[in-house]
Amino acid sequence: MTSKVQVVKRRVHRHRRRGRVAAAAMVAPAVLLVGAVYAYPAFSTLVYSIAKIDLAPRFQIERFVWLRNFINQLTSSNFWEATWITLYFGVMLCLVTVVLSFLIALLLNKAFFGRGLLRVTVLLPWAVPPVASGVLWVQMFHAEFGFLNGLIRAFGGEGGIIWLGGSTIALHSVLIAEVWRWIPFATLFILAGLQIVPKSVREASAIDGAGPWRGFRHVTFPLTLPVVVPVVIFLFVWAMKVFDTIFVLTRGGPSRGTTTLNFLTYRQGFEQFDFGNAAATAYLLSALTVAAIAGLGWMLARSRKLAGM
Amino acid sequence: MVSVSRTLVGRRLRRAVTYGSAVLVLVVMAFPLYGIILTSIQTEPDIRSRDVAFIPTYVETAHYRQIFDEASGIPVAESMFNSLVVAVATAFLTVALAVPAAYALHRMGVPGKRVILGGFAAIYVLPTLLFVLPLFITVVQLELHDTYIGLVLPYVAFTLPFMVWIMGSFVRSIPIEVEEMARIDGAGLRQLMFRIVIPLLRPGIFAGLLLGFILAWVEFLTPLLFTSDLSVLTVTLGLFRSTMDIAIGQLAAATVLTALPVILITAFFQRNISEVVTAGVER
Repeated sequence: MTSKVQVVKRRVHRHRRRGRVAAAAMVAPAVLLVGAVYAYPAFSTLVYSIAKIDLAPRFQIERFVWLRNFINQLTSSNFWEATWITLYFGVMLCLVTVVLSFLIALLLNKAFFGRGLLRVTVLLPWAVPPVASGVLWVQMFHAEFGFLNGLIRAFGGEGGIIWLGGSTIALHSVLIAEVWRWIPFATLFILAGLQIVPKSVREASAIDGAGPWRGFRHVTFPLTLPVVVPVVIFLFVWAMKVFDTIFVLTRGGPSRGTTTLNFLTYRQGFEQFDFGNAAATAYLLSALTVAAIAGLGWMLARSRKLAGM
Repeated sequence: MVSVSRTLVGRRLRRAVTYGSAVLVLVVMAFPLYGIILTSIQTEPDIRSRDVAFIPTYVETAHYRQIFDEASGIPVAESMFNSLVVAVATAFLTVALAVPAAYALHRMGVPGKRVILGGFAAIYVLPTLLFVLPLFITVVQLELHDTYIGLVLPYVAFTLPFMVWIMGSFVRSIPIEVEEMARIDGAGLRQLMFRIVIPLLRPGIFAGLLLGFILAWVEFLTPLLFTSDLSVLTVTLGLFRSTMDIAIGQLAAATVLTALPVILITAFFQRNISEVVTAGVER
């Protein structure tokens, strides 16, 4: 007595088993390709980091030096200088971008004439290829006929700032260019977060007598925090990896002032062709990034709890 | 009465602040782009003048004509063609791989789903150079440098993890009842995919293609390391190579042309792209 239910059940079962094979076949190409381009190289880099690589004839491992490459880095002043530059750059990028983006998002969250135009304009820098944005900022920062100095002169200033001249000012110039590039992403994200905050909640706080600042401080900000923290994580990860802008604007100079750890890896690998030390630096940078993310992830968990989500 | 007039003044003040800050944001965000466009339509002496003219009085198209000239140092037309080929190939390949993978991961109970998705996310945390060092050696050993394949394969792989995540969020938005109904009607996996899932995923696939194209078009590090021949020069690399050149106007024109396709795509499909980016927020 095979009821209809049993037939369907059996068919579903057959589907499931066949489905599993099909599912594996559908995932396999993606996983294999990503594995070949990520997992295998990541492992190779780990091997390089404990080896000395012979350039000629074809990049072979000459011998294993074990922890020598790591010790080289951890005892080199260049490495520590790059580490502090990287961390400073990362923290500043997150801080400045998030504050500015939050303000822009609050603005875009209001209804006013021309909001659509502003929205598109704010998005645009994101659409500029990083190299093009590098070239564009070279033009902005040019000491002689750059637009920034021109602007300062137009308002009656001296306008003789050498934006990419000293190591400190060059780092901040790179920072300006990167903040401009990342405001679109951060604004979009925070705006989406703001739109989740129900209007009724904000109105309720206003009725309770909270002014705009207190309303923001005690209602809007805590409620959007679960969105802000992922943005910070994203920006920080990005700051750890920034390459194109530095490459076009400063090449890591002047006097290593904009050499972040990522750029140091590039220099060691592709300027000095010292793959062993470059691999060690790449792994130290990865460790730093993972540690920072773990810290930020902990903050995210806490902020979720605070927001009651 | 007092409170009414106060709120009226307050409202006007607030509106003035809103518009004031809107104009400020607009100007600051648009200024660098405006600057490069301005540079591209000025004559070389005017570009090199200390008195920057912020409002153009004429339009000089010579730089645009020059960069498409055979004699110019920047082979803009060729490099745009190369980038187009590579970016289109990357977009289609990435989406073709990502859609089945995302569907299988989210709807077919692949073992190790969490590990795969977690691994895909973790890749973005690590610096690209970590993977590029040995990849460079492999590409050189396989003699894939200076070929389209040597660019497309890494591009696809770099974009794929992100794409699988994005497609995943679209796959999960398909109501499962629709799929179950098709199953009960006796649809096989192939029919289900081509008749139900892919048509329903069309907006996601479209957004994914745009994103894949953009990411490949702007990629810089891979061509910088994996190519040296002019025959496979991409726009971004060409732009950088020509920074050594002296004609700023031509460089500015080339910059505008490199950025233009991406800017147009973003401006036109603003909503689609915003959707993709913010898909993660609701989670």
